[in-house]
Amino acid sequence: MNAHRWNAFFLPVAVLAGPTAYATDYLTVAQAQEQLFPGAQFGEQTLKFSGDQRDRIKAAAGVRQRNDEMKVWRAEKNGKLQGWLMVDEVIGKHEFITYATAIGADGKVLGIEIMSYRETHGGQVREPSWRKQFVGKSVSDPFKLDQDIQNISGATLSCRNVMDGVKRLLVIQQMFLKA
Amino acid sequence: MEAVRRMRPALGTFVEAGASASAGLPALDAAFASLALAQQRWSFQDPASELSRINGSDGGWVAVHGDTVRLMRLARSLMLASGGYFDFTVGGAQIRRGSLPDHGGLPALERGSAQDVELRSGAIRLRRPVRLVLDGIAKGFAVDLACRAMRRGGATSGWINAGGDIRVFGDIELPLALRGEDGGIRPCGVLRNAAFASSRVSAARDDSFPADIIGPIGLAPQQGVWSVLARSAWRADALTKVAAIAPDDMRGALLARLGGQLA
Repeated sequence: MNAHRWNAFFLPVAVLAGPTAYATDYLTVAQAQEQLFPGAQFGEQTLKFSGDQRDRIKAAAGVRQRNDEMKVWRAEKNGKLQGWLMVDEVIGKHEFITYATAIGADGKVLGIEIMSYRETHGGQVREPSWRKQFVGKSVSDPFKLDQDIQNISGATLSCRNVMDGVKRLLVIQQMFLKA
Repeated sequence: MEAVRRMRPALGTFVEAGASASAGLPALDAAFASLALAQQRWSFQDPASELSRINGSDGGWVAVHGDTVRLMRLARSLMLASGGYFDFTVGGAQIRRGSLPDHGGLPALERGSAQDVELRSGAIRLRRPVRLVLDGIAKGFAVDLACRAMRRGGATSGWINAGGDIRVFGDIELPLALRGEDGGIRPCGVLRNAAFASSRVSAARDDSFPADIIGPIGLAPQQGVWSVLARSAWRADALTKVAAIAPDDMRGALLARLGGQLA
């Protein structure tokens, strides 16, 4: 493979413009509800945790419950409990993530969806004027993704914080949400 | 044209799958199901994975899925072709360093050779008690399979980004950004019908960035973020390890010979 051939597949960027933050929104709460419990009806409730309850959550889950409130949606279909949808956040060293977890009536995880993903090094993020340099250059006029759809490579981030968060949500479901 | 995309935790990282909206969610679900299978089969950490069954075997044939045999064949070929710069037999050394768990079994050699891995249809046998580790290639291979699953699910174009192991297919140009050693992000180009992967080598271990690369004897990986462009994600993934270890004066030529390009 020589460099010439590769240029058709990978176009490096030279120009850098002003800083902006990197963030992607995948799902709204309503979209997460529909995806994780299709066709269900939802009842919203807010769990409030006392200091003592947060200590118990931490003791059982091994991770701290940061907030003293959590929104939960109870999912039902034809009056029958399907499970709960919980929306939670984790803050990592490099990322800020809002995610939805669906827990079934049997207490098992049905699905996890990242709702929004933000890199926290916003001040260092630089974005070029992507579009300009590609105008008229494509052979078959491929589908151009929006600027905010850029994908990040580089050091691989561990998703352990979200998996720990899900463990915490399972503890909360067992302690506070009854079938 | 609209795109549909989702991000879920998978393969120990955050994985984004995207496809042309016409293919819809079923194509993305097929991709994530394929990634979950890859995790089940090739995780070193999971004592029940096919990889752990191979590593825990006593020299007999171990029945595995056809994709596992294909992956092992690719790993073995690349180990030979790269003269050991890519090495998937260093699990024993990594257990000793504490970067991988010890699931027991015969006392492990620190590292082995490509000849230690014997393959036949649907089965694998270890000629010596090495511990195979697929960290440097399985994520990329899983991305390739997930793209195949999306195509079979009706997506004519799409992409997977598994924590930086990226593959794009069809009529899409995917803008890329690179996270540097300092965590800062800079754009680095657009990708089309190709794969891109990065590995970060840091002086100190960091739980946010789980990577541990071991070089051939006498060679240590060089600090930095190593990014490689290739046709397929397994190759891009594996060649980042080669890039990290190869001496400066031969890196470019070695990667080109192995089907990659330093990005």
